[in-house]
Amino acid sequence: MKKTNGGKWNKYLVAGLLMTGLAVLLGIVGFFWTPYSTTAMSASEKFVGPSLYHLFGTDNFGRDIFSRVMQGLSTTIVIGSLVVLFSASIGILLGALTGYFGGILDEIVMRITDAVNGFPSILLALVLISILGNGKQNVILALGIVFVPSYVRIVRSEFIRLRDADYIKRARLMGVSRMRILFVHILPNIFSVFWVSVMIGFNNAILAESGMSYLGIGVQPPDASLGKMLSDAQGYLQTAPWYALAPGLTIVWVVLGFSLFSEGIRRSQYG
Amino acid sequence: MVKIENLSVAFDGTEVVKNVNLELKDGEILGVVGESGSGKSVTALTLMGLVAETAEITSGRILFDNVVLREAGKPLDKALYRKYQGAEMSMVFQEPMTSLNPTQRVGRQVEEMLRLHTDFTKEEIRAKVLETFEAVGLRDIEKVYDSYPHQLSGGMRQRVMIAMAIILHPDLVVADEPTTALDVTIQNQIIELLREINTREQNAMLFITHDLNLARRICHRIAVMKDGRVVEQGKTEDIFQHPREVYTKNLIEAVPSRMKRRVSVMRKPMQGSVSGGGAEAATGAEMTAGAKNAGGTAADESLTSVLQVRNLSVFYQDGSNSLFAGKRRHCVVEGANFDIYRGESLGLVGESGCGKTSLSKAILGMNSDITGKVVHGSIRPQMIFQDPYSSLNPTKTIGWLLQEPLRAAGKLDKSLAMTKGDMEAAAFDMLHRVGMEDKYFHRKPSQLSGGQRQRISIGQALITRPGLIVADEPVSALDVTIQAQIMELMQKLQQEMGLSYLFISHDINVVYKMCDRIMVMKEGKIMEIGETEELFRHPAQEYTKQLLGAS
Repeated sequence: MKKTNGGKWNKYLVAGLLMTGLAVLLGIVGFFWTPYSTTAMSASEKFVGPSLYHLFGTDNFGRDIFSRVMQGLSTTIVIGSLVVLFSASIGILLGALTGYFGGILDEIVMRITDAVNGFPSILLALVLISILGNGKQNVILALGIVFVPSYVRIVRSEFIRLRDADYIKRARLMGVSRMRILFVHILPNIFSVFWVSVMIGFNNAILAESGMSYLGIGVQPPDASLGKMLSDAQGYLQTAPWYALAPGLTIVWVVLGFSLFSEGIRRSQYG
Repeated sequence: MVKIENLSVAFDGTEVVKNVNLELKDGEILGVVGESGSGKSVTALTLMGLVAETAEITSGRILFDNVVLREAGKPLDKALYRKYQGAEMSMVFQEPMTSLNPTQRVGRQVEEMLRLHTDFTKEEIRAKVLETFEAVGLRDIEKVYDSYPHQLSGGMRQRVMIAMAIILHPDLVVADEPTTALDVTIQNQIIELLREINTREQNAMLFITHDLNLARRICHRIAVMKDGRVVEQGKTEDIFQHPREVYTKNLIEAVPSRMKRRVSVMRKPMQGSVSGGGAEAATGAEMTAGAKNAGGTAADESLTSVLQVRNLSVFYQDGSNSLFAGKRRHCVVEGANFDIYRGESLGLVGESGCGKTSLSKAILGMNSDITGKVVHGSIRPQMIFQDPYSSLNPTKTIGWLLQEPLRAAGKLDKSLAMTKGDMEAAAFDMLHRVGMEDKYFHRKPSQLSGGQRQRISIGQALITRPGLIVADEPVSALDVTIQAQIMELMQKLQQEMGLSYLFISHDINVVYKMCDRIMVMKEGKIMEIGETEELFRHPAQEYTKQLLGAS
């Protein structure tokens, strides 16, 4: 039996919150200000190792890696959030309608999501990018579309579960309008389940964006992106390992922190 | 035989059974009666060695035939218990569906007992199982032997469970709410069977139930438990005639008894709506005479009909949701004709699957596949559900829940629209009417007890002032003392607001207490409608007699 333990703190939640908090803070600051210019090159300061002046060292153009990581973080977080916002909203809408009403709309939407699920998501995003073209907005759009089915499925199954609950029957009996039943009576009840999938979705979006930027079809220069930095650093693994380690470990940090955070929330809700 | 001495059991340091002393002699049936959470089941499970391992015995001991089975501070001796379980002591559980393995034929499952505890040959085992099946009143025993649990009815499954429990002729049988999940007529048969087995085998029986009436019918002695303690213990009739404890008195009084005068008999007709004191009695007589086509004879003009059902049939679509599978259409209610009058309670009784729920859904307009006519007042009838835990939206506050019907009504009909302040005032008024304080207005359902939730549920159904309320088993999920409170509340509100109830229940006693008239259903057809007293005294149908006599 599920048991709430009143939103208690646990070590997952604390660790996740600290890691995510630091990453988000750096990202937000990085959006407005960085210690050094992210584009200023300096031939004399090529491949300087990590020091107090350059926390993560400098790259092949003499740019400060820490500053670029901060900017990359902000790009990543913005893209991740927008992807989740896009796919979750459409997922809620489609999932609610198909789950509650069923019927022919349900059949059509479910067959489409089956088809989308049949392909690896990153591959499908690549195809969409090749149609839409490069650029931040298109990355968001492509990833957003690819992630819709996972939300539709979760929302749909919750709506199916709740559409015959006594309190929903009663709302129908009162004559509450269908849209109000969907979004005022049922929707708040699925948030505890939905929240977890949003968290996971955010992580997947970050990983997918980094992957795409690594392949050169994501965020375009001069914008910094963690994935792009990782691919740039590839050639210098021997001479300047910090160049690859900085963005690589940052990605790990963000994803791990967020996983811990979502696990912590899940545990605090269900004990 | 069995001695439980000063037993205390704790989970995580919280004692749920406190200093319990019970003694059980050969051939005796001891009833342990109490509401949920009283510790009756934990006591039985501890005796059987089936309690969770996290449970700790903090004091006392359990003796079986002068052998110490359990003792304070000592862990469960599994080897010792294995010797006794099944052979010397056995248990019948409440839910026969989940206590049988769905993937095995029931014959094999019963055989298991013999294979573990005896060295019978295959043929002897089979013969013994069939013999026991016969002894527990199963018919077609060869067929039952090769059936899977889902192919048997609830009553048959419970008989199989009992067969399993008695096949080794144990000295002690523990029955934990063995009839709670069954229909009344079946319940009666199982009780008879247990009594018969007790007489024949002269074994000791520990009968655990929340239903004092049931305990009265089968037990020699009764122990009443409350909050983990045995508050009173004695011969069954002594307990009923001279209860010493206030709690026991309350329990006995809470049980709707036919010996007591019904409240509804004293209920006077509503001002303005019904004229003449004899109106209700007149209706009753008429209905009994009219029986099935009662609707056509409702001639007394002083009675206001809040619901007219004419020649109503309800259909049900069978088959999967798939696009291609064919669908079958069943008729679940056939040609129903009846009226419900202002201020009266009509009871609807019948076994599960008789069409009670389908009929009520059709009346509420929740089922569109119907023929015939249902006419009700301008405000749609509302419903009170059985399970108070699933009938309130857990994400909303009580205040919001009470106002939502008003909001919905206002949107459907602009003339009914109210201001925010008026709605809030109405919600507070309803909160008081159902006997709750202001402070609950901002709480969520999860902070309320089952009885409190049911009060809110009633308030939610009543706030738009519908003339008719359909109550589907509104008290059967509640403890007896709470049951009595909710029934009292429903009767109070009926008088204050001039309500009519369609009261659906399998509990004949509850129906007797609540209803002016009773309607009996069987296999989709209305068998009989009559005034309550009349129906109990002179049931016209054999089936009614069976149904009413069962409890």
